[in-house]
Amino acid sequence: MKKSALFSILVIVLLIPATLYLGSRLSGHWYYLTSTLIIVEIMIPFFLAFETRRPQARELVTIAVMAAIAAASRAVFAFIPHFKPITAIIMITGIAFGPEAGFLTGAVAAFASNFIFGQGPWTPWQMMAFGIGGFLAGLLFHNRKLTAKPLWNAVILAVYGFFSILLLVGPLLDSCTIFTMGTEITPAFVGTILLSGAPVNVTHGVSCAATMLLFSKPLLEKLERLKTKYGMMEARRDGV
Amino acid sequence: MKSDAFGRFHPAVCFLYFVGAIGFGVVIQHPAYAAAGCIGAACYYLVLRGRAAWKRVLSLLPIFALLSVINPLFNTAGSRVLFFVFGRPYTWEALCYGMAIAAVFVVMMLWFSCYNLVMTSDKFTSLFGNLIPALSLLLVMVLRMIPSFLRKASQIQHARQSIGKSVGEGSRISEKIRHGMTVLSALTDWALEGSVVTADSMRARGYGTARRTNFQIYRMTAADWTLLVLIVLLAAAVLLAGGTAAAYTPVLSIEPLTWGFAAYCLYVLIPTALHVKEAVLWRISISKI
Repeated sequence: MKKSALFSILVIVLLIPATLYLGSRLSGHWYYLTSTLIIVEIMIPFFLAFETRRPQARELVTIAVMAAIAAASRAVFAFIPHFKPITAIIMITGIAFGPEAGFLTGAVAAFASNFIFGQGPWTPWQMMAFGIGGFLAGLLFHNRKLTAKPLWNAVILAVYGFFSILLLVGPLLDSCTIFTMGTEITPAFVGTILLSGAPVNVTHGVSCAATMLLFSKPLLEKLERLKTKYGMMEARRDGV
Repeated sequence: MKSDAFGRFHPAVCFLYFVGAIGFGVVIQHPAYAAAGCIGAACYYLVLRGRAAWKRVLSLLPIFALLSVINPLFNTAGSRVLFFVFGRPYTWEALCYGMAIAAVFVVMMLWFSCYNLVMTSDKFTSLFGNLIPALSLLLVMVLRMIPSFLRKASQIQHARQSIGKSVGEGSRISEKIRHGMTVLSALTDWALEGSVVTADSMRARGYGTARRTNFQIYRMTAADWTLLVLIVLLAAAVLLAGGTAAAYTPVLSIEPLTWGFAAYCLYVLIPTALHVKEAVLWRISISKI
Protein backbone atom coordinates (compact mmCIF):
# COMPACT_ATOMS: atom_id res chain seq x y z
CA MET A 1 0.00 0.00 0.00
CA LYS A 2 2.72 2.44 1.05
CA LYS A 3 4.78 1.80 -2.05
CA SER A 4 1.92 2.42 -4.45
CA ALA A 5 0.86 5.61 -2.64
CA LEU A 6 4.41 6.90 -2.86
CA PHE A 7 4.50 6.05 -6.53
CA SER A 8 1.22 7.87 -7.17
CA ILE A 9 2.58 11.02 -5.58
CA LEU A 10 5.77 10.64 -7.60
CA VAL A 11 3.77 10.33 -10.83
CA ILE A 12 1.63 13.38 -10.14
CA VAL A 13 4.43 15.59 -8.87
CA LEU A 14 7.26 14.59 -11.20
CA LEU A 15 6.29 12.48 -14.18
CA ILE A 16 3.35 14.51 -15.53
CA PRO A 17 5.05 17.93 -15.38
CA ALA A 18 8.18 16.36 -16.90
CA THR A 19 6.11 14.95 -19.77
CA LEU A 20 4.43 18.31 -20.32
CA TYR A 21 7.78 20.08 -20.30
CA LEU A 22 9.43 17.66 -22.71
CA GLY A 23 6.39 17.66 -24.98
CA SER A 24 6.41 21.43 -25.26
CA ARG A 25 10.17 21.58 -25.82
CA LEU A 26 10.57 19.00 -28.55
CA SER A 27 10.37 19.97 -32.17
CA GLY A 28 7.06 19.72 -33.93
CA HIS A 29 3.79 19.54 -32.04
CA TRP A 30 3.69 16.30 -30.18
CA TYR A 31 0.15 16.85 -29.02
CA TYR A 32 -1.05 13.31 -29.39
CA LEU A 33 1.99 11.62 -27.84
CA THR A 34 2.22 14.05 -24.90
CA SER A 35 -1.49 13.95 -24.11
CA THR A 36 -1.69 10.17 -24.39
CA LEU A 37 1.36 9.72 -22.18
CA ILE A 38 -0.26 11.91 -19.53
CA ILE A 39 -3.50 9.93 -19.76
CA VAL A 40 -1.55 6.71 -19.26
CA GLU A 41 0.42 8.24 -16.38
CA ILE A 42 -2.79 9.24 -14.63
CA MET A 43 -4.11 5.67 -14.94
CA ILE A 44 -0.94 3.96 -13.66
CA PRO A 45 -1.53 4.71 -9.92
CA PHE A 46 -5.01 3.15 -10.09
CA PHE A 47 -3.74 -0.02 -11.68
CA LEU A 48 -0.72 -0.19 -9.41
CA ALA A 49 -2.85 0.17 -6.28
CA PHE A 50 -4.98 -2.76 -7.46
CA GLU A 51 -1.93 -4.84 -8.34
CA THR A 52 -0.01 -4.31 -5.10
CA ARG A 53 -3.11 -4.89 -2.97
CA ARG A 54 -3.26 -8.51 -4.21
CA PRO A 55 -7.07 -8.56 -4.66
CA GLN A 56 -9.02 -11.51 -3.31
CA ALA A 57 -10.73 -13.91 -5.68
CA ARG A 58 -14.23 -12.58 -4.97
CA GLU A 59 -13.30 -8.98 -5.66
CA LEU A 60 -11.49 -9.93 -8.85
CA VAL A 61 -14.38 -12.01 -10.18
CA THR A 62 -17.02 -9.40 -9.33
CA ILE A 63 -15.12 -6.65 -11.15
CA ALA A 64 -14.60 -8.98 -14.12
CA VAL A 65 -18.32 -9.82 -14.25
CA MET A 66 -19.38 -6.18 -14.12
CA ALA A 67 -16.85 -5.19 -16.80
CA ALA A 68 -18.02 -8.04 -19.04
CA ILE A 69 -21.69 -7.12 -18.50
CA ALA A 70 -20.89 -3.51 -19.38
CA ALA A 71 -19.05 -4.58 -22.55
CA ALA A 72 -21.76 -7.07 -23.53
CA SER A 73 -24.62 -4.63 -22.82
CA ARG A 74 -23.95 -2.93 -26.14
CA ALA A 75 -24.82 -6.15 -27.97
CA VAL A 76 -27.89 -6.83 -25.81
CA PHE A 77 -29.31 -3.47 -26.93
CA ALA A 78 -28.22 -3.93 -30.54
CA PHE A 79 -31.87 -3.73 -31.67
CA ILE A 80 -32.04 -0.08 -30.53
CA PRO A 81 -29.52 1.90 -32.59
CA HIS A 82 -27.16 4.25 -30.68
CA PHE A 83 -28.39 3.00 -27.30
CA LYS A 84 -25.31 2.54 -25.13
CA PRO A 85 -25.96 1.57 -21.50
CA ILE A 86 -22.26 0.76 -20.90
CA THR A 87 -21.46 3.95 -18.96
CA ALA A 88 -24.52 3.62 -16.74
CA ILE A 89 -23.53 0.09 -15.74
CA ILE A 90 -19.99 1.23 -14.98
CA MET A 91 -21.35 4.10 -12.85
CA ILE A 92 -23.68 1.75 -10.96
CA THR A 93 -20.71 -0.54 -10.23
CA GLY A 94 -18.83 2.45 -8.86
CA ILE A 95 -21.79 3.42 -6.70
CA ALA A 96 -22.18 -0.09 -5.29
CA PHE A 97 -18.52 -1.04 -4.80
CA GLY A 98 -16.67 2.24 -4.46
CA PRO A 99 -14.65 4.56 -6.70
CA GLU A 100 -11.67 2.27 -7.23
CA ALA A 101 -13.82 -0.64 -8.41
CA GLY A 102 -15.71 1.78 -10.65
CA PHE A 103 -12.51 2.96 -12.27
CA LEU A 104 -11.22 -0.55 -12.86
CA THR A 105 -14.53 -1.76 -14.28
CA GLY A 106 -14.66 1.14 -16.71
CA ALA A 107 -11.06 0.90 -17.85
CA VAL A 108 -11.10 -2.89 -18.23
CA ALA A 109 -14.48 -2.86 -20.02
CA ALA A 110 -13.17 -0.33 -22.54
CA PHE A 111 -9.91 -2.21 -23.08
CA ALA A 112 -11.55 -5.63 -23.39
CA SER A 113 -14.28 -4.49 -25.76
CA ASN A 114 -11.59 -2.98 -27.98
CA PHE A 115 -10.19 -6.47 -28.51
CA ILE A 116 -13.48 -7.06 -30.34
CA PHE A 117 -14.01 -3.66 -31.95
CA GLY A 118 -10.32 -2.93 -32.59
CA GLN A 119 -7.62 -1.14 -30.60
CA GLY A 120 -6.60 2.25 -31.87
CA PRO A 121 -5.28 5.65 -30.84
CA TRP A 122 -8.52 6.05 -28.91
CA THR A 123 -7.94 3.09 -26.54
CA PRO A 124 -6.22 4.97 -23.66
CA TRP A 125 -8.77 7.77 -23.93
CA GLN A 126 -11.73 5.41 -23.75
CA MET A 127 -10.19 3.61 -20.78
CA MET A 128 -9.67 6.93 -19.03
CA ALA A 129 -13.12 8.33 -19.87
CA PHE A 130 -15.09 5.26 -18.77
CA GLY A 131 -12.80 4.74 -15.78
CA ILE A 132 -13.20 8.28 -14.52
CA GLY A 133 -16.98 8.05 -15.07
CA GLY A 134 -17.15 5.06 -12.73
CA PHE A 135 -14.68 6.62 -10.30
CA LEU A 136 -16.59 9.88 -9.93
CA ALA A 137 -19.95 8.17 -9.51
CA GLY A 138 -18.43 6.03 -6.77
CA LEU A 139 -16.84 9.04 -5.11
CA LEU A 140 -20.14 10.91 -5.00
CA PHE A 141 -22.69 8.20 -4.27
CA HIS A 142 -20.90 5.20 -2.70
CA ASN A 143 -22.23 4.36 0.79
CA ARG A 144 -24.50 7.37 0.73
CA LYS A 145 -28.21 7.37 1.27
CA LEU A 146 -29.81 9.83 -1.10
CA THR A 147 -33.50 10.04 -0.29
CA ALA A 148 -36.07 7.72 1.22
CA LYS A 149 -37.95 7.41 -2.07
CA PRO A 150 -36.34 4.99 -4.56
CA LEU A 151 -37.93 6.77 -7.50
CA TRP A 152 -36.26 10.04 -6.55
CA ASN A 153 -32.94 8.27 -6.20
CA ALA A 154 -33.26 6.92 -9.73
CA VAL A 155 -34.14 10.39 -11.02
CA ILE A 156 -31.13 11.94 -9.26
CA LEU A 157 -28.84 9.28 -10.71
CA ALA A 158 -30.36 9.74 -14.18
CA VAL A 159 -29.77 13.49 -14.10
CA TYR A 160 -26.26 12.94 -12.77
CA GLY A 161 -25.54 10.35 -15.46
CA PHE A 162 -26.76 12.61 -18.26
CA PHE A 163 -24.68 15.57 -17.21
CA SER A 164 -21.55 13.63 -16.32
CA ILE A 165 -21.54 12.19 -19.85
CA LEU A 166 -22.29 15.52 -21.46
CA LEU A 167 -19.66 17.41 -19.48
CA LEU A 168 -16.98 14.84 -18.61
CA VAL A 169 -17.04 11.47 -20.36
CA GLY A 170 -18.07 12.76 -23.80
CA PRO A 171 -15.56 15.63 -23.97
CA LEU A 172 -12.81 13.27 -22.77
CA LEU A 173 -13.62 10.91 -25.65
CA ASP A 174 -13.64 13.88 -28.04
CA SER A 175 -10.27 15.17 -26.82
CA CYS A 176 -8.67 12.18 -28.50
CA THR A 177 -9.94 13.57 -31.82
CA ILE A 178 -8.68 17.04 -30.94
CA PHE A 179 -5.18 15.80 -30.22
CA THR A 180 -4.89 13.41 -33.16
CA MET A 181 -6.21 15.75 -35.82
CA GLY A 182 -5.27 19.26 -34.72
CA THR A 183 -2.15 21.09 -35.79
CA GLU A 184 -2.88 24.17 -33.73
CA ILE A 185 -5.13 23.87 -30.70
CA THR A 186 -7.26 26.99 -31.14
CA PRO A 187 -10.57 27.70 -29.37
CA ALA A 188 -12.34 27.56 -32.74
CA PHE A 189 -10.94 24.10 -33.50
CA VAL A 190 -11.76 22.73 -30.05
CA GLY A 191 -15.25 24.24 -30.30
CA THR A 192 -15.87 22.66 -33.69
CA ILE A 193 -14.82 19.20 -32.54
CA LEU A 194 -16.87 19.42 -29.34
CA LEU A 195 -19.89 20.71 -31.25
CA SER A 196 -19.65 17.95 -33.86
CA GLY A 197 -19.40 15.43 -31.03
CA ALA A 198 -22.42 16.91 -29.23
CA PRO A 199 -25.17 14.84 -30.95
CA VAL A 200 -23.32 11.62 -30.11
CA ASN A 201 -22.78 12.76 -26.53
CA VAL A 202 -26.43 13.73 -26.11
CA THR A 203 -27.70 10.32 -27.31
CA HIS A 204 -25.07 8.67 -25.12
CA GLY A 205 -26.24 10.77 -22.17
CA VAL A 206 -29.91 10.07 -22.83
CA SER A 207 -29.33 6.32 -23.02
CA CYS A 208 -27.33 6.51 -19.79
CA ALA A 209 -30.15 8.43 -18.10
CA ALA A 210 -32.76 5.96 -19.34
CA THR A 211 -30.69 3.05 -18.06
CA MET A 212 -30.26 4.76 -14.70
CA LEU A 213 -33.99 5.45 -14.46
CA LEU A 214 -35.03 1.87 -15.21
CA PHE A 215 -32.08 -0.19 -14.12
CA SER A 216 -30.27 1.57 -11.26
CA LYS A 217 -32.66 0.41 -8.53
CA PRO A 218 -32.80 -3.30 -9.45
CA LEU A 219 -29.10 -3.50 -10.22
CA LEU A 220 -28.05 -1.68 -7.05
CA GLU A 221 -30.29 -4.00 -5.04
CA LYS A 222 -28.73 -7.04 -6.69
CA LEU A 223 -25.24 -5.81 -5.89
CA GLU A 224 -26.17 -4.93 -2.30
CA ARG A 225 -27.66 -8.37 -1.88
CA LEU A 226 -24.46 -9.91 -3.17
CA LYS A 227 -22.57 -8.03 -0.48
CA THR A 228 -24.85 -9.18 2.36
CA LYS A 229 -25.30 -12.71 1.10
CA TYR A 230 -21.74 -13.61 0.22
CA GLY A 231 -19.66 -10.82 1.74
CA MET A 232 -18.38 -9.76 -1.67
CA MET A 233 -16.16 -6.70 -1.98
CA GLU A 234 -15.89 -6.22 1.77
CA ALA A 235 -12.74 -5.34 3.65
CA ARG A 236 -10.21 -8.16 3.70
CA ARG A 237 -10.65 -10.57 6.56
CA ASP A 238 -8.03 -12.97 7.85
CA GLY A 239 -7.48 -16.02 5.74
CA VAL A 240 -9.83 -14.89 2.99
CA MET B 1 -6.61 -14.94 -41.37
CA LYS B 2 -3.63 -17.04 -42.29
CA SER B 3 -0.59 -16.66 -40.10
CA ASP B 4 2.19 -14.56 -41.56
CA ALA B 5 5.96 -14.72 -41.16
CA PHE B 6 6.21 -11.70 -38.85
CA GLY B 7 3.24 -12.68 -36.68
CA ARG B 8 4.90 -15.99 -35.82
CA PHE B 9 7.75 -14.27 -34.02
CA HIS B 10 7.74 -13.92 -30.24
CA PRO B 11 4.97 -11.54 -29.03
CA ALA B 12 7.54 -9.37 -27.24
CA VAL B 13 9.35 -8.75 -30.52
CA CYS B 14 6.11 -7.98 -32.36
CA PHE B 15 4.88 -5.70 -29.58
CA LEU B 16 8.15 -3.79 -29.47
CA TYR B 17 8.10 -3.43 -33.24
CA PHE B 18 4.58 -1.95 -33.19
CA VAL B 19 5.47 0.41 -30.33
CA GLY B 20 8.37 1.65 -32.44
CA ALA B 21 6.43 1.85 -35.68
CA ILE B 22 3.45 3.68 -34.17
CA GLY B 23 5.71 5.87 -32.03
CA PHE B 24 7.82 7.00 -34.99
CA GLY B 25 4.68 7.34 -37.11
CA VAL B 26 3.05 9.71 -34.63
CA VAL B 27 6.10 11.77 -33.75
CA ILE B 28 7.82 12.32 -37.11
CA GLN B 29 5.95 14.80 -39.28
CA HIS B 30 8.55 14.87 -42.05
CA PRO B 31 6.71 14.27 -45.36
CA ALA B 32 9.16 11.64 -46.68
CA TYR B 33 8.99 9.69 -43.41
CA ALA B 34 5.21 9.90 -43.33
CA ALA B 35 5.01 8.61 -46.91
CA ALA B 36 7.41 5.76 -46.13
CA GLY B 37 5.36 4.90 -43.05
CA CYS B 38 2.14 4.85 -45.10
CA ILE B 39 3.69 2.55 -47.70
CA GLY B 40 5.25 0.22 -45.13
CA ALA B 41 2.09 -0.09 -43.05
CA ALA B 42 -0.16 -0.46 -46.11
CA CYS B 43 2.08 -3.19 -47.59
CA TYR B 44 1.99 -5.16 -44.37
CA TYR B 45 -1.76 -4.74 -44.07
CA LEU B 46 -2.14 -6.05 -47.64
CA VAL B 47 0.05 -9.03 -46.72
CA LEU B 48 -2.14 -9.74 -43.71
CA ARG B 49 -5.56 -9.31 -45.24
CA GLY B 50 -5.02 -9.90 -48.96
CA ARG B 51 -7.72 -8.51 -51.25
CA ALA B 52 -9.99 -7.43 -48.39
CA ALA B 53 -7.35 -4.92 -47.29
CA TRP B 54 -7.79 -2.69 -50.36
CA LYS B 55 -11.18 -1.52 -49.16
CA ARG B 56 -9.75 -0.26 -45.87
CA VAL B 57 -6.65 1.28 -47.45
CA LEU B 58 -8.74 3.10 -50.07
CA SER B 59 -11.28 4.24 -47.50
CA LEU B 60 -8.48 6.17 -45.77
CA LEU B 61 -7.87 8.31 -48.88
CA PRO B 62 -10.97 10.51 -48.52
CA ILE B 63 -10.19 10.90 -44.81
CA PHE B 64 -6.69 12.02 -45.77
CA ALA B 65 -8.07 14.58 -48.23
CA LEU B 66 -10.69 15.87 -45.79
CA LEU B 67 -8.25 16.30 -42.90
CA SER B 68 -5.75 18.10 -45.16
CA VAL B 69 -8.32 20.54 -46.51
CA ILE B 70 -9.87 21.29 -43.12
CA ASN B 71 -6.66 22.23 -41.31
CA PRO B 72 -6.10 25.65 -42.99
CA LEU B 73 -9.60 26.68 -41.92
CA PHE B 74 -8.43 26.62 -38.30
CA ASN B 75 -4.73 27.23 -38.67
CA THR B 76 -4.21 30.52 -40.49
CA ALA B 77 -0.47 30.78 -39.94
CA GLY B 78 1.68 30.72 -43.07
CA SER B 79 3.03 33.19 -45.60
CA ARG B 80 1.67 32.20 -49.00
CA VAL B 81 -2.05 32.98 -49.03
CA LEU B 82 -4.00 30.96 -51.58
CA PHE B 83 -7.42 32.59 -51.05
CA PHE B 84 -9.68 33.89 -48.30
CA VAL B 85 -12.43 31.93 -46.57
CA PHE B 86 -14.87 33.99 -44.48
CA GLY B 87 -12.27 36.74 -44.44
CA ARG B 88 -9.59 34.41 -43.05
CA PRO B 89 -6.50 33.55 -45.07
CA TYR B 90 -6.21 30.01 -46.43
CA THR B 91 -2.49 29.41 -46.68
CA TRP B 92 -0.35 26.96 -48.62
CA GLU B 93 1.80 26.24 -45.55
CA ALA B 94 -1.21 25.33 -43.44
CA LEU B 95 -2.46 23.06 -46.21
CA CYS B 96 0.91 21.25 -46.25
CA TYR B 97 0.77 21.01 -42.48
CA GLY B 98 -2.73 19.54 -42.77
CA MET B 99 -1.46 16.98 -45.27
CA ALA B 100 1.37 15.99 -42.90
CA ILE B 101 -1.03 15.59 -39.96
CA ALA B 102 -3.46 13.64 -42.13
CA ALA B 103 -0.62 11.35 -43.24
CA VAL B 104 0.36 10.81 -39.61
CA PHE B 105 -3.25 9.88 -38.88
CA VAL B 106 -3.36 7.42 -41.80
CA VAL B 107 -0.08 5.81 -40.71
CA MET B 108 -1.43 5.40 -37.21
CA MET B 109 -4.71 3.85 -38.38
CA LEU B 110 -2.89 1.42 -40.70
CA TRP B 111 -0.41 0.31 -38.06
CA PHE B 112 -3.21 -0.18 -35.55
CA SER B 113 -5.12 -2.29 -38.10
CA CYS B 114 -2.06 -4.52 -38.44
CA TYR B 115 -1.58 -4.55 -34.66
CA ASN B 116 -5.15 -5.77 -34.13
CA LEU B 117 -4.55 -8.70 -36.47
CA VAL B 118 -1.14 -9.68 -35.10
CA MET B 119 -1.30 -8.93 -31.37
CA THR B 120 -4.32 -11.03 -30.42
CA SER B 121 -5.52 -11.05 -26.83
CA ASP B 122 -3.76 -14.34 -26.01
CA LYS B 123 -0.43 -12.85 -27.06
CA PHE B 124 -1.08 -9.69 -25.08
CA THR B 125 -1.92 -11.51 -21.86
CA SER B 126 0.93 -14.00 -22.22
CA LEU B 127 3.25 -11.03 -22.61
CA PHE B 128 2.00 -9.11 -19.58
CA GLY B 129 0.89 -12.04 -17.40
CA ASN B 130 4.09 -11.97 -15.35
CA LEU B 131 4.38 -8.22 -15.15
CA ILE B 132 0.82 -7.42 -14.03
CA PRO B 133 -0.65 -10.74 -12.85
CA ALA B 134 -3.88 -9.47 -11.24
CA LEU B 135 -4.81 -7.14 -14.08
CA SER B 136 -4.08 -9.64 -16.84
CA LEU B 137 -6.07 -12.30 -14.98
CA LEU B 138 -8.91 -9.76 -14.84
CA LEU B 139 -8.55 -9.16 -18.57
CA VAL B 140 -8.53 -12.87 -19.42
CA MET B 141 -11.68 -13.38 -17.35
CA VAL B 142 -13.49 -10.50 -19.04
CA LEU B 143 -12.47 -11.70 -22.50
CA ARG B 144 -13.82 -15.15 -21.72
CA MET B 145 -17.01 -13.83 -20.12
CA ILE B 146 -18.10 -11.51 -22.94
CA PRO B 147 -18.89 -14.30 -25.47
CA SER B 148 -20.39 -16.47 -22.76
CA PHE B 149 -22.66 -13.61 -21.61
CA LEU B 150 -23.71 -12.90 -25.18
CA ARG B 151 -24.73 -16.53 -25.62
CA LYS B 152 -26.68 -16.40 -22.36
CA ALA B 153 -28.35 -13.14 -23.38
CA SER B 154 -29.61 -14.67 -26.60
CA GLN B 155 -30.88 -17.71 -24.66
CA ILE B 156 -32.82 -15.38 -22.37
CA GLN B 157 -34.22 -13.54 -25.37
CA HIS B 158 -35.34 -16.79 -26.97
CA ALA B 159 -36.93 -17.91 -23.71
CA ARG B 160 -38.88 -14.65 -23.54
CA GLN B 161 -39.87 -15.05 -27.17
CA SER B 162 -41.38 -18.45 -26.44
CA ILE B 163 -43.72 -16.93 -23.85
CA GLY B 164 -44.71 -14.16 -26.22
CA LYS B 165 -42.68 -11.41 -24.60
CA SER B 166 -40.40 -10.52 -27.48
CA VAL B 167 -40.22 -7.13 -29.13
CA GLY B 168 -40.95 -6.89 -32.81
CA GLU B 169 -40.35 -4.29 -35.47
CA GLY B 170 -43.47 -2.33 -34.65
CA SER B 171 -42.95 -1.89 -30.92
CA ARG B 172 -42.41 1.48 -29.36
CA ILE B 173 -38.90 2.48 -28.28
CA SER B 174 -39.86 2.51 -24.60
CA GLU B 175 -41.06 -1.09 -24.92
CA LYS B 176 -37.80 -2.05 -26.57
CA ILE B 177 -35.77 -0.43 -23.80
CA ARG B 178 -37.85 -2.15 -21.13
CA HIS B 179 -37.36 -5.48 -22.87
CA GLY B 180 -33.60 -4.91 -23.08
CA MET B 181 -33.48 -4.01 -19.40
CA THR B 182 -35.29 -7.21 -18.42
CA VAL B 183 -32.82 -9.28 -20.42
CA LEU B 184 -29.90 -7.38 -18.93
CA SER B 185 -31.29 -7.79 -15.43
CA ALA B 186 -31.71 -11.56 -15.82
CA LEU B 187 -28.25 -11.80 -17.32
CA THR B 188 -26.73 -9.87 -14.41
CA ASP B 189 -28.45 -12.12 -11.87
CA TRP B 190 -27.15 -15.25 -13.55
CA ALA B 191 -23.65 -13.83 -13.99
CA LEU B 192 -23.29 -12.60 -10.41
CA GLU B 193 -24.49 -15.87 -8.89
CA GLY B 194 -22.03 -17.66 -11.16
CA SER B 195 -19.23 -15.36 -10.05
CA VAL B 196 -19.60 -16.62 -6.47
CA VAL B 197 -19.01 -20.18 -7.63
CA THR B 198 -16.00 -19.10 -9.68
CA ALA B 199 -14.51 -17.18 -6.77
CA ASP B 200 -15.01 -20.07 -4.34
CA SER B 201 -13.44 -22.45 -6.80
CA MET B 202 -10.49 -20.12 -7.21
CA ARG B 203 -9.99 -20.02 -3.44
CA ALA B 204 -10.32 -23.80 -3.11
CA ARG B 205 -7.62 -24.23 -5.72
CA GLY B 206 -5.29 -21.97 -3.81
CA TYR B 207 -5.61 -18.61 -5.55
CA GLY B 208 -3.58 -16.02 -3.69
CA THR B 209 -1.48 -18.49 -1.69
CA ALA B 210 1.53 -18.21 -3.96
CA ARG B 211 2.74 -16.33 -6.96
CA ARG B 212 0.62 -17.11 -9.98
CA THR B 213 2.45 -19.10 -12.61
CA ASN B 214 1.30 -18.85 -16.18
CA PHE B 215 1.40 -21.05 -19.20
CA GLN B 216 4.01 -19.88 -21.69
CA ILE B 217 3.72 -21.14 -25.22
CA TYR B 218 6.20 -18.66 -26.66
CA ARG B 219 9.98 -19.00 -26.34
CA MET B 220 12.60 -16.59 -27.57
CA THR B 221 14.53 -18.42 -30.29
CA ALA B 222 17.70 -17.38 -32.08
CA ALA B 223 15.61 -15.92 -34.90
CA ASP B 224 13.62 -13.85 -32.39
CA TRP B 225 16.80 -12.42 -30.88
CA THR B 226 18.16 -11.61 -34.35
CA LEU B 227 15.02 -9.74 -35.32
CA LEU B 228 14.95 -7.94 -31.96
CA VAL B 229 18.55 -6.75 -32.41
CA LEU B 230 17.76 -5.62 -35.95
CA ILE B 231 14.70 -3.66 -34.79
CA VAL B 232 16.62 -1.98 -31.97
CA LEU B 233 19.56 -1.11 -34.23
CA LEU B 234 17.34 0.39 -36.94
CA ALA B 235 15.33 2.37 -34.39
CA ALA B 236 18.55 3.68 -32.83
CA ALA B 237 19.79 4.64 -36.30
CA VAL B 238 16.61 6.62 -36.98
CA LEU B 239 16.92 8.40 -33.64
CA LEU B 240 20.64 9.18 -33.95
CA ALA B 241 20.80 10.18 -37.63
CA GLY B 242 18.38 13.08 -37.17
CA GLY B 243 16.98 14.91 -40.16
CA THR B 244 13.44 14.09 -39.10
CA ALA B 245 12.36 17.61 -38.15
CA ALA B 246 9.91 19.47 -40.31
CA ALA B 247 8.19 22.75 -39.53
CA TYR B 248 5.35 23.97 -41.72
CA THR B 249 4.23 27.30 -40.35
CA PRO B 250 4.96 30.18 -40.73
CA VAL B 251 7.30 29.03 -43.54
CA LEU B 252 8.07 25.54 -44.76
CA SER B 253 11.37 24.28 -43.38
CA ILE B 254 11.93 20.62 -44.00
CA GLU B 255 15.28 19.10 -43.10
CA PRO B 256 17.14 17.28 -45.91
CA LEU B 257 17.08 13.50 -45.76
CA THR B 258 19.95 11.67 -44.11
CA TRP B 259 20.89 7.99 -43.95
CA GLY B 260 18.42 7.78 -41.09
CA PHE B 261 15.69 7.73 -43.73
CA ALA B 262 17.12 4.56 -45.25
CA ALA B 263 17.04 2.97 -41.78
CA TYR B 264 13.42 4.07 -41.35
CA CYS B 265 12.43 2.59 -44.73
CA LEU B 266 14.03 -0.72 -43.74
CA TYR B 267 12.27 -0.58 -40.37
CA VAL B 268 8.76 -0.14 -41.78
CA LEU B 269 9.32 -2.78 -44.46
CA ILE B 270 10.54 -5.54 -42.08
CA PRO B 271 7.21 -7.46 -41.85
CA THR B 272 6.62 -7.28 -45.61
CA ALA B 273 10.20 -8.31 -46.35
CA LEU B 274 9.84 -11.32 -44.06
CA HIS B 275 6.69 -12.33 -45.90
CA VAL B 276 8.30 -11.92 -49.32
CA LYS B 277 11.35 -13.92 -48.20
CA GLU B 278 9.11 -16.75 -47.05
CA ALA B 279 7.06 -16.68 -50.26
CA VAL B 280 10.22 -16.80 -52.40
CA LEU B 281 11.64 -19.70 -50.37
CA TRP B 282 8.35 -21.52 -50.78
CA ARG B 283 8.43 -21.07 -54.55
CA ILE B 284 12.00 -22.29 -54.76
CA SER B 285 11.30 -25.35 -52.65
CA ILE B 286 8.25 -26.17 -54.81
CA SER B 287 10.22 -25.90 -58.04
CA LYS B 288 12.80 -28.32 -56.66
CA ILE B 289 10.23 -31.03 -56.08
